[in-house]
Amino acid sequence: MPIVQLRNIRKVYDTKVAVDDLSFTIEPGTMFGLLGPNGSGKTSSIRMMIGITVPDSGSVSLFDQPFTRSALPRVGYLPEERGLYKKMNVLDQLVFLGQLHGLSASVASRRASLWCERLDIVEAIPKKTEDLSKGMQQKIQFIAALLHDPDLILMDEPFSGLDPVNSFLLMSTLVDLCSIGKAVLFSTHRMDQVEKFCNNIALIHRGRLVLSGSMREIKSIYPRNRVLIHFEGDDSFLNHPSIEHVKRYNGTVEIKLRPSATLAEDAQSLLAQAIAHARVSRFEVMEPTLEEIFIEKVQETSPVRNGHDNGHDLSMAQLDQPSKGGLDA
Amino acid sequence: MHNVWLIARREYVERVRTRGFLITTVMIPLIMGALLFGSAFVSSKSEPGTHIAIVSSDPQLALDLQSELQQEQETRPRSAKQPQFTVDAMDIEPQSAQATQAILDQELDSGDLDGYLWIAPAPTPAPTPAKAQSDRPTFAFTPRSSEQNTLRSQLAAALGTVLMREQLAHRGIVASDADTMLQPVDILTAHAPDRDDRESAEVSITLLFVLMYMVIALYGMNVARSIIEEKTSRIFEVMLATIRPEEMMAGKILGVGSVGITQVGIWLTAALLLSASSIAANLGGQGIHVALTAAQIVYFFVYFILGYAFYSSIAAALGAMTNSEHELQQLNLFLVLPLVVCFVTLKSILTYPDSTMARVLALIPPFTPLLMYLRVSLGHPSHWTVFASIALTSASIYAIVWVSSRIYRVGVLMYGKRPSLPELLRWLKYS
Repeated sequence: MPIVQLRNIRKVYDTKVAVDDLSFTIEPGTMFGLLGPNGSGKTSSIRMMIGITVPDSGSVSLFDQPFTRSALPRVGYLPEERGLYKKMNVLDQLVFLGQLHGLSASVASRRASLWCERLDIVEAIPKKTEDLSKGMQQKIQFIAALLHDPDLILMDEPFSGLDPVNSFLLMSTLVDLCSIGKAVLFSTHRMDQVEKFCNNIALIHRGRLVLSGSMREIKSIYPRNRVLIHFEGDDSFLNHPSIEHVKRYNGTVEIKLRPSATLAEDAQSLLAQAIAHARVSRFEVMEPTLEEIFIEKVQETSPVRNGHDNGHDLSMAQLDQPSKGGLDA
Repeated sequence: MHNVWLIARREYVERVRTRGFLITTVMIPLIMGALLFGSAFVSSKSEPGTHIAIVSSDPQLALDLQSELQQEQETRPRSAKQPQFTVDAMDIEPQSAQATQAILDQELDSGDLDGYLWIAPAPTPAPTPAKAQSDRPTFAFTPRSSEQNTLRSQLAAALGTVLMREQLAHRGIVASDADTMLQPVDILTAHAPDRDDRESAEVSITLLFVLMYMVIALYGMNVARSIIEEKTSRIFEVMLATIRPEEMMAGKILGVGSVGITQVGIWLTAALLLSASSIAANLGGQGIHVALTAAQIVYFFVYFILGYAFYSSIAAALGAMTNSEHELQQLNLFLVLPLVVCFVTLKSILTYPDSTMARVLALIPPFTPLLMYLRVSLGHPSHWTVFASIALTSASIYAIVWVSSRIYRVGVLMYGKRPSLPELLRWLKYS
């Protein structure tokens, strides 16, 4: 039984197509990554899943039923823009939000304390929200989304602005929830997080689905044509004929090999040439990263890049490098 | 419904707990009281009176006029409209007329004098004994400001009496007889005993009117402000994931409104207690006591609630359309303008609660709560008018809530620029 099923949903705002013909399914016990650069329609899609906005066309099903508001108490939502009542005491706030999701005051209060213990913010309970650090507020918001034990957890950019320790804490909490059968969807533009944790992904770009499926399937489609080399000394081995293009950093190069039937042999010959000229401390042959897959897909769908997908987003900015900077071999 | 109740309760509890609530609850009556007692005190103690000078070459006439003016105020009960007179009678030589006038003008400028009356003797004793009228001196009154029309008519009346008395004396009538003849006539009004009550009721009703005006404006703005606050803190997105925008708006209006009612309730209770005890009487002299009937209080709450519902749902829409207090200020006009219109007409409706203007205005929904309240309390509107006013206002509240909740629904999710009118209309369509 799919928890979420989107069929050809489309949403147009006054001047902009936010989501166009998007379909995907989330099964129970899946960690689902919704990926895309800023402004690609992630938040719009999530909002349509919970009826904050209604798709112009297409259909949304939750828990195998066409969408109705009665399904909402089974959904936990962490919006991209965090929002809490600043002047309100943390416990009151959690109880209030719990009650809105149909919990009784006493159950909400008991669960709130348990969750605060689990996320290591017991000391925040009696405080006013505005007195907390941003990271703590985010944890409170995280708890608010989970308090009513939802079967579907939707998290819009859950880790933005969190330090690595806390990101990891929240991530492993989500993994735990997933392992007991909850469906978790989180959106992000950080591809590295997704590669580690997600079973399934959907890549969207300008509101359109670019790529979707299980992580393993997706990776297996792509040949192992990426080579990472850490080295010191002469870089003349970069003239090797099997190299299609090189990105060069400080003491490191990322190489994409020319498509060929003999990729493994090409890599070996490249390694031999590198050793002959320089001192190599690391040599790794990989499949393309999700980031690279994404950029390839985006370029396929819209060959003319107009730099529209802004530069706030660090990992997306890197994606632009092959065409703008870098060193083309 | 449960959600509306939860939101209203949160809004109420969080607001009542704040220091701001405590401060306004205590401070506003204090300020109003201070203003009231202050103005009563000022008008009773230090009433500046009117200081005029009478310049005349005929000292007798000047003195008579002086005593007439001063005596008049002693015999009549003092009221605000009759200032006390201080009259300087001046006797001048015709030669120094210009110098005297210069001095008087100067005093006028400096504010020492409110006006002076220049009595020039009749041209010359008439060569032929013509009519007595030609003997009359000319009177020229120079007031400090043109507003002193009452002063002018008072002077004219006093002069008339003095001259009349002079004439009568001239014709051999004894002074005491003359006084009797000139005794002013008092007309007793039929409702004379009610008058005091009516006056103090007017004071109380005006106070309640101002209170209603303030609380509606204040709490209407509070609704708008708290919606903007939720927009900026983005909390509503969490809320909208479980509840409908309509529920959110209703809860907010109810919650904030209950705070207003609580506050007004506290004030009214305190006022009634205070007026029941003797403190008020001792403090304010005769001027202030609350004379309200139960019906007037009930109507107050009825119209207060109608007015609040009307204006706060407009405010909710304004709040949903804007992104910051600054933007809200610009749209504020829609909220405040009708209230101000009510305020401007207050005085005339207070005096003539059953005039045509009052009747018409009080049936127009934005004005109904405040103006119909005045009419119900002080005038004699028919039952159907009262009923119609409530029905009309309720119907328009329903319409406004309908529109507002649609604007709200779309508006809370819009950030960035303020919507234009066509955009707003589109919002109404697609939600």
